[in-house]
Amino acid sequence: MEFSIRVATLEDCRDMARMIAELAEYEKVPDQVKITQRDLEQDGFSKNPFFQAIIAEVPEQHRSKEGHCKVGYALYFFAYSSWKGRSVYMEDLYVMSEYRGKGIGKALMSKIAQLGLAAGCKQLNFAVPNWNKPSVDFSLRQGCWNVTSDLGYHCMRCEGPALESLARGEAKH
Amino acid sequence: MPDGMKISHEELERDGFSQNPFFHCLVAEVPPQHRTKEGYTLVGYALYFYTYSTWEGRSLYMEDFYVMPEFRGKGIGKALISNVARIGKEHQCVRLNFSVLSWNTPAINFYLNKGAQDLTTSDGWHCFRFDREALDKLAEEAVKQ
Repeated sequence: MEFSIRVATLEDCRDMARMIAELAEYEKVPDQVKITQRDLEQDGFSKNPFFQAIIAEVPEQHRSKEGHCKVGYALYFFAYSSWKGRSVYMEDLYVMSEYRGKGIGKALMSKIAQLGLAAGCKQLNFAVPNWNKPSVDFSLRQGCWNVTSDLGYHCMRCEGPALESLARGEAKH
Repeated sequence: MPDGMKISHEELERDGFSQNPFFHCLVAEVPPQHRTKEGYTLVGYALYFYTYSTWEGRSLYMEDFYVMPEFRGKGIGKALISNVARIGKEHQCVRLNFSVLSWNTPAINFYLNKGAQDLTTSDGWHCFRFDREALDKLAEEAVKQ
C-alpha cells in the first residue's frame, strides 16, 4: 500500500488527538488521556516546543471507512544521556489497526532515526509494556535491545501529590 | 561503570549552554571550608530535561542525580531532587520520570519513600534502546523509503 511519512503541522493536531485516544484504548487505559487538541497545538507548535511529531498518510483511495487519510503518527523529543550525549526519545508510535503489517510503523521509526541522527543524536530510546508482545517483538526485530531486561533499569515516576510534596520539600531544607 | 562515559566537557558546554539546550542542570555547592581533599566545592548535581506525555502533557526527565559519597546523608540529595520538582512545577510539568538500576536498593527505597512509583514492577514498562550502529541502520531504511 502506498503511504507517505512527513513532519506534522498544526493542522495535524486534530488527527493526532484522535489517534492518541485510539492508542490509549489499545493500551487498555482509555480514561488516562488528559491532553486535548488545543494542548498539542500549544505544546508542539509554539516557540519552544515540548515535542516533535511525524505523520503517516495514505492517498484518498485508501482512506479508512471513517474517511481518515492520516493513519499513523510518532511523537518524539530530544533527550540527553550524560554518557553518550544527545539522544532522541520516542514517546508514541501508533498505526491504526487496519493499516498495520504494511511497513508504516517501521517507516515512522526509521524517519525518527534519520531526524535524530541529523540533529547529532547517538541513541533512540523508547518504552514498551512487556505484556505487549507484538510491540516488543516488532521493536527487537528492528535491532534495538531491552535496557530493562539486560541492565536492570527500572522506569520510575513521581506525579500528583507525591510530586507536589517533593517540590515543597525544598522549603523545609 | 567507568568505561561508559563517552562525552567530553566541551560537548556538555555545547549541549547544555547554547540557545536551545538539550538539558538543564542544578549543582550543589559547599563553602570553601568544607571543600573536598582534592579542593572541590561542587559536590553534587542533577541533570534533567523537558519531555512530553501524550496523556498528561509537559513532564521532566531526570537523567542524572549524584552526590559525592563523603557528602551524603546531609540532605543534599533531597534538596537537589526537590528543586528539580519545584522547577518542573513552575513550568507546569505534571510528571517527573527517571530510571534506577534494580540492584540499587538504597536509591529505590529513597524514591519509593518520596512517593515515586516503579512502573517496571507495577505495569511492566521496559526501556528499549537503539545504539549508534543500529540507529544508522534504521535511518538508512528511511532514506530508501
